[in-house]
Amino acid sequence: MSDAAALLPTQGTDFAAALAAAPVPNLRRVGGEMFAWSDRDPQRAPALPRGAVLRFLLGQFAGPGRAVLVAGPHADELVAALADSGAAVTWLLRSLADAEEAARTRPDITVLAGAAVKLDPAERFDLVVAVDGVERLNSAEGEQLSAAELIDRLAGAVRPDGVLVLMHDNRLGLHHTVRLEPGGQGRRDATWYAVDEYDTHRPASQEQLTARLADSGLTVGAAYAAFPEPATPTVLVGAGLLGNVSSPVRPRLGTALSQALAAGFRGRPVLSDPRHLANRALLAGAEATIAPAWLVIARAPGEGAAPAIGTHELLIGDVRGTFAYEVAAASESTVRTTVLQPLAEPIERSGLRRISEPVAPGADVGHVLEERLLHLAATDDLRQLRVEMAQYVTWLHEQASDGVLVGPVAVAGLADIFVIEDGPTLLPTRWEPVEPVPLAVAEIRAIWQFAVQLITSGQPHPWPVTSSAVDLTAVLLGMVGLAAADADLRAAVDLHVALEAADFELSLSQQHDRQLELLAVTPGTASVDVAGFRELTEALWRQRYEASHLLAMMEWTEQIIKSRDLQLSKIDWEVQFYRKTWAGRFLWVARSAYRVITRDSRKFLHGRRQRKAAAVDPAALR
Amino acid sequence: MSASQQPAMDEGMHHANYHYGHAHLLARYCDLPEPLHPPRLQGYLQHGWNMGDGLAPGTPYVHGSRIFVWSEETRRRSWSQGRRDVIVVGAPFAYLLEMEPEPADAPEPEGTIFYPFHGWEGQQISGDHSRLIDEVKATETGSVTACLYWNEFRMKSVRRIYERAGFRVICHGYRGFWWRDHNRDFLVGQLAELRKHRRVVSNRLCSAVWYGALAGREVAVYGDPMVLDNADPTFGGEPRLRRQWPEVYGNQTDYDACHALARQQLGADELAHPDELRAYLGWPASTERFK
Repeated sequence: MSDAAALLPTQGTDFAAALAAAPVPNLRRVGGEMFAWSDRDPQRAPALPRGAVLRFLLGQFAGPGRAVLVAGPHADELVAALADSGAAVTWLLRSLADAEEAARTRPDITVLAGAAVKLDPAERFDLVVAVDGVERLNSAEGEQLSAAELIDRLAGAVRPDGVLVLMHDNRLGLHHTVRLEPGGQGRRDATWYAVDEYDTHRPASQEQLTARLADSGLTVGAAYAAFPEPATPTVLVGAGLLGNVSSPVRPRLGTALSQALAAGFRGRPVLSDPRHLANRALLAGAEATIAPAWLVIARAPGEGAAPAIGTHELLIGDVRGTFAYEVAAASESTVRTTVLQPLAEPIERSGLRRISEPVAPGADVGHVLEERLLHLAATDDLRQLRVEMAQYVTWLHEQASDGVLVGPVAVAGLADIFVIEDGPTLLPTRWEPVEPVPLAVAEIRAIWQFAVQLITSGQPHPWPVTSSAVDLTAVLLGMVGLAAADADLRAAVDLHVALEAADFELSLSQQHDRQLELLAVTPGTASVDVAGFRELTEALWRQRYEASHLLAMMEWTEQIIKSRDLQLSKIDWEVQFYRKTWAGRFLWVARSAYRVITRDSRKFLHGRRQRKAAAVDPAALR
Repeated sequence: MSASQQPAMDEGMHHANYHYGHAHLLARYCDLPEPLHPPRLQGYLQHGWNMGDGLAPGTPYVHGSRIFVWSEETRRRSWSQGRRDVIVVGAPFAYLLEMEPEPADAPEPEGTIFYPFHGWEGQQISGDHSRLIDEVKATETGSVTACLYWNEFRMKSVRRIYERAGFRVICHGYRGFWWRDHNRDFLVGQLAELRKHRRVVSNRLCSAVWYGALAGREVAVYGDPMVLDNADPTFGGEPRLRRQWPEVYGNQTDYDACHALARQQLGADELAHPDELRAYLGWPASTERFK
């Protein structure tokens, strides 16, 4: 039961409205359909699967004359895209209310209301789409199938030469590992069966999933590790790159995953920032092991000459909309970036314009600047840090003309900079400013953002644990002989907030709050993007360190004041001695007299010398 | 707290920061308006080469304060001793060399400057000065200048022993105490003396030997090391010096090896940019953005 529903009486079925509704001819009840239920309610169930990469992949297998089964709840735009391609779409939904709405909205698709177990086994499809996984294919009514049986059931619905596109949740995935959701199991209305961690038949790895599908006669043609969450995959890692630590695309993967996880887990309380875990897994080539889900595309054997299933090394796309692109190795040392689906329409928000054509360096032997700096910070290599900072700043200054930057470089963070042999280059970014940005502001924003990351994510660095983001920005800028003026720093934070506002569509009040939060990143600040519990405890530790130092300082200040008071008293006594006592006055008069005498005698001698000189040369006096 | 928020005071939390004119020298490097009266330094600056945690026994230290050490090795050691917020800035002497490189037309250095190992105000040494002098005379070929610590310099009896041996006896001055009587040009004078000589020797490895090596002079450590009356054995004492830095021991040493070691020990390759150093020390940032 949802939080609100736990306290309020459940609203019953509105029979009057049901009777008044026009009958929908494209809806068929197959049995097991749920009443007074919706999978579209975020309070009751997880988000619906969506995203540009899914849209792109599914689009490859749809088309006129193709019979498509969409199994389970999916975002409307995914189903609409399939139907719009001319395919005959059948959509299975367990919620009757959802099914009715779908049938009404899209008269061109057939909607089946009910549980997967009630699907007609004789009905086969060219494409079976289950990118929501199998968890929402059982209904509360009637017979329950296990996860493995549901996979078999979906595989059985694929026609010869047909294709199954299945997203399978990884229980070892980092999204489960970092989950901090007290009472999560008991709170969700959809978990009438808790997550069973002892189900030995449920495929628990990508290999087991492939094997299970093979048992049903399907061959996996493409398998991807999906990030940051099963329902919103924005990064898919495929064959060629998956597990291959020597791939030239590898450096790009780190940045892509880090950004995807930051956006995916933004503001959500978690046990620990998932980026740390992802980074460790990437170094080990173990991304498939910790991926939140695997997306597999499997084909049923057949007689026809079905085109082979294409694979992609790295697919990156938007959560909403159509924009998706591919990064692939072009040779052993170069990569290419190809837009697969363009932006549907130009986007402008908060003074920024969405980039529709990601441009990336061809050569890929190098390193992402941010990762390099994090490594150097962790190893206290100040010398090399200065070298890297100098190289970056010089490059950035070269990009500017008349003290301003235009284009994506103006809002590029250090994670967007790729350093190759010839120097830094820009990786694909999402936004560019509409108006030029002053160089100082752009530079401070990038460095300040790095400082914020160092502090709030508990990264090791060679500077005091009691540093604020402003302190660290001053140090990093100081390394290259620059200093940040307060006005520039403010403008940099404003620019950063604009970037976040564009990315996450923040309201004006959210932008205001965010600005205040970011301006005050101190040692006691926990994460400002992903709310990690570990990062919170780190922040607490830093705060305690600072507090203990401040207490010691107070004690010391008391002592020093006493000591200085004593010194002052002694000096005061000396001054009074000179001023008041006869001995003091005598000393003072004697010293003054000595000074006057020496001064006057010097004057006298000087005058006499001049007079003598004048006597010798009278012209000298004139 | 940002640097600009720190109160500007002409006295610091840790008085040892002003020994040898260290704070004044760094203020000069940072181009502060009044380097002779540097603002409060937000932390504890290592004031002598040591094989411990960068702090000096008996010198007050406020718990939790930043510790500015000379080398990465000292930072690691300091961390291992439970110290945190330890930042490598390099030795003030190394900054001085940056500011005052040796002129190309400098006169040819000659002779030896000899630093008999000294105690300090709180610890007196015991050992035989005469035997040490004999050893120096036997080893060094040119003229010898003996540089005494200020308290030994003031002891006529000690000074006379060196004068009788035919040495020129000098003292770099008083390092200061509790914000008073500092010789602000201590290191400037020391550098000038070091540069006059071809060799820098001592009976015990100390800051002066590293300074000499960094200033491009031959260095050597030999003779009776003379122990401190109440030496602290926590970090291994004199025997450890020989074991860990054997390169500088002996009558003759390898110039390159000693120079490289000095760069390491004095953090000569770790020196911070003036703006960076201002940020570390809690000094006001330069107002000029682009230089």
